[in-house]
Order: sequence, then C-alpha cells, then structure tokens
Amino acid sequence: MSDAPRPRPLEGIRVADFTWVWAGPFCTLQLAHLGAEVIRIESATRTCVTRLLPPWPDGVPHPDRSGYFNQYNQGKKSIALDLTKDDARSVARDLIRASDIVVENFAAGVMDRMGLGYEVCRSLRPDIIMIALSGYGATGPESHYVSYGPAQVPLSGFSSLTGYRGFRPMHIGISYGDPTAGLHGAVATLAALFHRRRSGEGQYIDLSQWESTMALLPEGLLAQTLEGRAYERDGNHDVLWAPHAVYRCDGEDRWVSIAVASDDEWRALASAVEPAWLRDSELAVAAGRKRREEEIDERLSAWCATRSREQVTEVLQQAGVAAFPVLDARDLHDDPHLAARGFFVELPHREVGVRRHLGIPYRLDASPIAVGRAAPCLGQDTDEVLTRVLGYDADRIAALRAADVLR
Amino acid sequence: MADALAGIRVVECGDFVAASYGAKQLADLGAEVIKVEPLGGDRARTRGPYPGGVPDPDRSGLYLYLNTNKRAVEVDLDTAAGRALLDRLASSADLLIHDQPPQVARARGLDPESLRRRHDRLVVTSIAPFGLTGPKADFRAHDLNLWCASGLAVLNGAGPGRDDLPPLKPFGMQASFQAGLNAAVASLAALYEREASGVGQAVEISVQECLASIAEMTFSFYPYMGIVPSRLGQKPIQPLDFLECSDGWIFICCVEEHQWHRFVELAGSPEWATLEIFSNRLARGANWDALKIFLNEYTATRTVQDLYREAQERRIPFAPVSTMGDLLASDHLRARGFFATIDDGAGGEVVLPGAPYHHARTPWRIRRRAPRLGEHTDEVLEELGLSDRAAELRAAGAIR
Repeated sequence: MSDAPRPRPLEGIRVADFTWVWAGPFCTLQLAHLGAEVIRIESATRTCVTRLLPPWPDGVPHPDRSGYFNQYNQGKKSIALDLTKDDARSVARDLIRASDIVVENFAAGVMDRMGLGYEVCRSLRPDIIMIALSGYGATGPESHYVSYGPAQVPLSGFSSLTGYRGFRPMHIGISYGDPTAGLHGAVATLAALFHRRRSGEGQYIDLSQWESTMALLPEGLLAQTLEGRAYERDGNHDVLWAPHAVYRCDGEDRWVSIAVASDDEWRALASAVEPAWLRDSELAVAAGRKRREEEIDERLSAWCATRSREQVTEVLQQAGVAAFPVLDARDLHDDPHLAARGFFVELPHREVGVRRHLGIPYRLDASPIAVGRAAPCLGQDTDEVLTRVLGYDADRIAALRAADVLR
Repeated sequence: MADALAGIRVVECGDFVAASYGAKQLADLGAEVIKVEPLGGDRARTRGPYPGGVPDPDRSGLYLYLNTNKRAVEVDLDTAAGRALLDRLASSADLLIHDQPPQVARARGLDPESLRRRHDRLVVTSIAPFGLTGPKADFRAHDLNLWCASGLAVLNGAGPGRDDLPPLKPFGMQASFQAGLNAAVASLAALYEREASGVGQAVEISVQECLASIAEMTFSFYPYMGIVPSRLGQKPIQPLDFLECSDGWIFICCVEEHQWHRFVELAGSPEWATLEIFSNRLARGANWDALKIFLNEYTATRTVQDLYREAQERRIPFAPVSTMGDLLASDHLRARGFFATIDDGAGGEVVLPGAPYHHARTPWRIRRRAPRLGEHTDEVLEELGLSDRAAELRAAGAIR
C-alpha cells in the first residue's frame, strides 16, 4: 500500500449546479467536498436568495459578502448566465453536455420551461445524471405547491412533535428539511454514479424535500401506525430514558445537557450528585427513573444552578456520564477541540477577506479532502469556464458579454 | 430493474440510529448488509413503538424501519472468538461501518488501524460523537448532548422574553440521523474511489461537526458580524410563525412582499392591514406582537386545510402543522407511493416511511423485511464455511 495521497473520490466529475437557497447548494457542497468540479450557474437577474441575506461584514449588504452564501458554496465555481435569454440557454446546454451531473432545486417544472429538462439534458449527454430536489416532488397533486425552508419543518410533521410540554407546536431553529434533503440527494447522486460506472447509464432522480424529511421521523409515524397514538410534545425528555434534559447553570443563560441511557450511567450520576439515589431500588431501572423524572429533574436543576456548565461537564464526564454544555456560535468559533481537529476553513475571499467557516464533517485518510477555495463571487469563473471547459474563444465570449448574456 | 449498489457487501456494527441509518441508505439501494448485533441485540429493539404497544425485540418499530434489507447475526465482540468471526466477515466485505464510541471500538477490534492492517480493500467508517482525535474524542455523549454541542439547541426556544425555558432539541434522535447520512455520503465516496485505486481507506465522522455544518447562517454571524444568534432573538421578518386555526395549527410564511399582499387579499383586505406599522416585512417583524393579535382573530375562523390550500392556490407558502395522522392520510403522499408496507416478521404488517429519493432506473426498494434477532447467524456461518464450528462458538458465548 503506497502512502502517496490518492485522488479525491470525485476528481474528474463535473457538476452543472443550477441550485439556489439551501437544499440544493447543500447537496452540491458535498460533491464539491468530495472533489467534483461544481459550477454554479447564477445570475444577477435572479440572485441566489442566500447572497441577499445576512450576515455581511460591517452590516453592508452585497451579493458577494454574505456569510450564509459563503458557508454553503465553499469550493464551488460560479458562472453568470441570464437564463431568460436564448443565447444563455444555449451556453447552459453546452455546459450540460460537458457535465456528468445536473443538480437543480427549482419548483417542479421550471427547468422544463427553460428548455433544460431531463429529456433535453439526456439528448445532450446520454449518460447524464440529473437530480431535482423540489419541495413536494416532481409528481403528485401538490407538486406545484410553493415550498420555503422554514415551512418544511411543520409540513413534515416535526413541529407537531417538537416543543415544551403543554406548549404550542415549535420550530427546530433551522430550516431542517433543507440540509436533510441535500444529504439524501448526495447519497442518491453517488449511488447513481455507481450505476453509471457499471452500466454506462445515467438517470433522473426525483427527490421531495418533504419525503426526505419524513424519513427522519419514523418513531412518530410508527407510534401512529402501530399503536394508534401520537407522542406528546415533551421538551428535551426522552420516551424511555431519564434523566434526559437541559439544565440551567450558574451564569447568564448558561445551560448543560445531561442524558442517562443506561443503569451504569445512572450509578455514575448518582455517585457524583446524590449518593442516596444509589440505595433507592426503584431508581436502579429506567422505568423507575422515568416515573420519577420530575423529582430527579428538580434535584439536578438545583445541583447545576450553583455550578458553571464547565464544572458540571467536567465532574460528570469524569464520572462517566454524558454531559455537555449548550454551545453557541462564539463557543464553537473559539472551540479548541474543533480547532485541534482542523475542522475550520480560513481561505482568502476577495470581498470579505479571511473569515472562519465550518469545514467538512468527514475525513478520508488516504484521499485527503479539503476545501480548496472560498465561495465564489457571482460570476467569478465565467471566463475561465467558457474558455477551458467549453472551448469558447475570446471573440465569442465578448459577443455574449456585449449581448448582456453573461450577467 | 437494477439495484444501484448491487454487489457491494457491508458489515454494520450499528447500535440505535447512526450507523444503522447510514447502512440503510446503502441496503435500500441494493447493497448486501450483514448487521452484527451484540447478544440480546441492538438497543433499537428495545425502543418501540410496538404493535399494540406490546414490547417484543423482533417488532420494535424503530428497528424495523432502520434495518430493512439487512440480515442479522448475533455476535459478542467482547470475546476473542467473536472478534475472530467479525474479522472473517470483514475479509469478504467492501465496507465496515460502526458507531461504537472510540474506547469501546478499540476494545472490540473495530478501530480502523487494526482492521485496515489486515484488510487492504476494506473501507472502514467510524462514527464518533466528537471524532477520533482531539481533546474531547473520548467524551461520552448521547443524541441530546450532541445537539447541544453543535450550536443547534441554542437556536430553538419560545422566543424573546422566554429565557426561563431551556434550549430545545427536535423530536427523535436527529443527531444520529444526520451522522448516518454523512456516513453514507463519505462511505460511498470512499467506495467509489476504491473502484479506481483498488484500495480501501478509513473514513471518520464527527457527529458534532455534522450538526455544526447545518447551522444555516447562524454560525457565520459571529465571524462576519460579531453577533451570537440565540433562541431569545426577535425574528427580523414576519409573518413567519405558528398560528391557531379552528381545528389545529398552521405555519404562516410571507417572506416576500407580494406574498403578504396576496395573503391580505385572501383574508378579505381587512382594515388593520393598511396600518403603517405593518407596511413592510421589517415593520411587521418589529410589530409582530400587535399583528399577531389581528392575524389570530382571522385564523381562528378558518380550518387548517382550507387556509393552507387557499394560500397555496395564491402561491403563498403556508404549511399545515401536520400531525402523523395528516401525513398518513395525505392524498399527495399516497399518489407518490411514499409509505411502504412491509411484513413485520411476526404475521403482521407495518407501514413505514418509504423512499426518500426516486431513481428512475435503480429504484429504492424493500427486498426483505428487517431481521429477527440472530435470524441469519447460522446462514452466515455456513456462507463463511464455519457451520461445523457453530456449536463450539455457542459454547464459548461468542454467538447465540
């Protein structure tokens, strides 16, 4: 076995990336992480929503300065193409011809109306893999419905089960359906690459954000189908394990999570916090602890309230209990563990300089993957892609630019 | 129809959700997965929900869902003979995927160094709470702890003024699901690379990093603007919130001005909508408490489904707060064939979430139900040519 680094897994694979907002870009982010050349097709006439959202350095808005966009488009290229123009669609078709994969997350039907639907793509490149990540899927009576990230959380069923006890349905805090769809989309695309390698065939993949989000909700759905009941919203509690909650610590809005999943962990917790619990036989088993959850929560709340979240974590981890502080953006940014692991990416960007971004949550030891460059400014790679990938000459590019196609 | 991942052999040592969901991605697309469970089984077997609410390790809903298309063997990896058996399985596999905590994994011979030394072609995927390196690599953590450790829990709560309520996790073991998805992506990539190089490699997944990676724009607020987002912050734009209808809850969502104008029309162009304090989305955000009172009066007169459909007909992206019953009864999901019905292995049937993606040529499909505890132990021993040693392995407590 040679120790020389091997190529990244998707080296040589080219992706025509028509995605915007978050779900689609999160799918193509994975492909970029794995070494594919991901080329975003963008336009100032239809700017990606995340380019228009904060955070911007110094609060000054600009499509190239958004931390939201810059986080989820690391390692990709950008070509500016006004797809309302026929000549731009012709360039897009050339790019599809030169690509292995097409990814889009418009509402169902939009790519067809632009003359860039699957049948067209396949006629341009017979083994093309095309994946569409729409809100409701490409078929079915509601496929034309409008879908926004925050609305996917209640639609998928998550909100009806998430929330404090006795409280209204709640959100998750992020547009959870988007990255969930993006990751399922990456799995689906990689599987299609295996099939292509073995058979020479490409294919079309229809992904519904709604469905891929429900795939993460089996316990809720199965309680209904198997037991005919719905779980009640119950905060951070677990249906079987106790204690299992987030407790206030000393300091301003400081919290720690404690979860006990086994009898061993319970004994460890009891030894550290309340040795009298060790002699209480009802509490020696999970069902007994669950019955007396309120009493245990009260005692732990009092114990945590006089200690810092770091003290609680240290004492309990030492004892063998799963305890960890609730971290925020600053805590993560300054986290020595994540820094020691090399998780952060800090690469120069023309408009925002060097800022800390989150990196790749998986490591491959022999074909080292790493973010190669910061997210692109809108249209940053137009000339390079037209020249190198499509073989256009300078005159042709100038003519396209003069006709306002490249913006 | 072909299966996309036909011919790929996977050994999974999964407990609960993470590795099990990762391997399920591969199994449902055609890979052959052998699940190695400890004596007594994966803890997902103790989780339920159960048919009729009666506990049975072979009929736990969570297990039945996570382990479709897999076979199961019951092996004690805390015995030398059990570890030798795992090694035999690994020698004919393409991928070994596990989610045992790092200390436990080392003791059971699941660490990538020892596996890769003996099996050059094997891809070894390790899912660990905080990864395999770094000062917190050996910290103990369950799903809730990881949701808190990643900057996600801090984002969810009851909003401004409710600092009495703690940061909140979503329903279910979501940290583990996300880790499983990342593990599937990275494992498939390593297998794809192996088709060219002929050599496997070690893949490492940090659950904390998987979750930090989905913090939307919130992490960047700190390095870009010095702002630390929290559950106590005011939403800048409204409406983007839950409101109560006559028969349930709806999520109303007007991000763009044109959506708001169409909604006002739908609501019958009431007088209050002309007030200056509601004139644009930022003003509506700043005056949300007042606006919410007017909106509640309106939504209380409507049913969830009527308001949802009328809004969607006007291209306003409202969504119902779906109950599990609503989802199971959805005409749209039914038309798409989303829910799958499988045999539960004990004479009954179970309805499960189905395909999360639809491949036109290599469809996601259920070829076999989830296995009963130890169902394939003898069958797999026979395939390994070890049938004659079964009694001895049982006597040694390596298998059951």
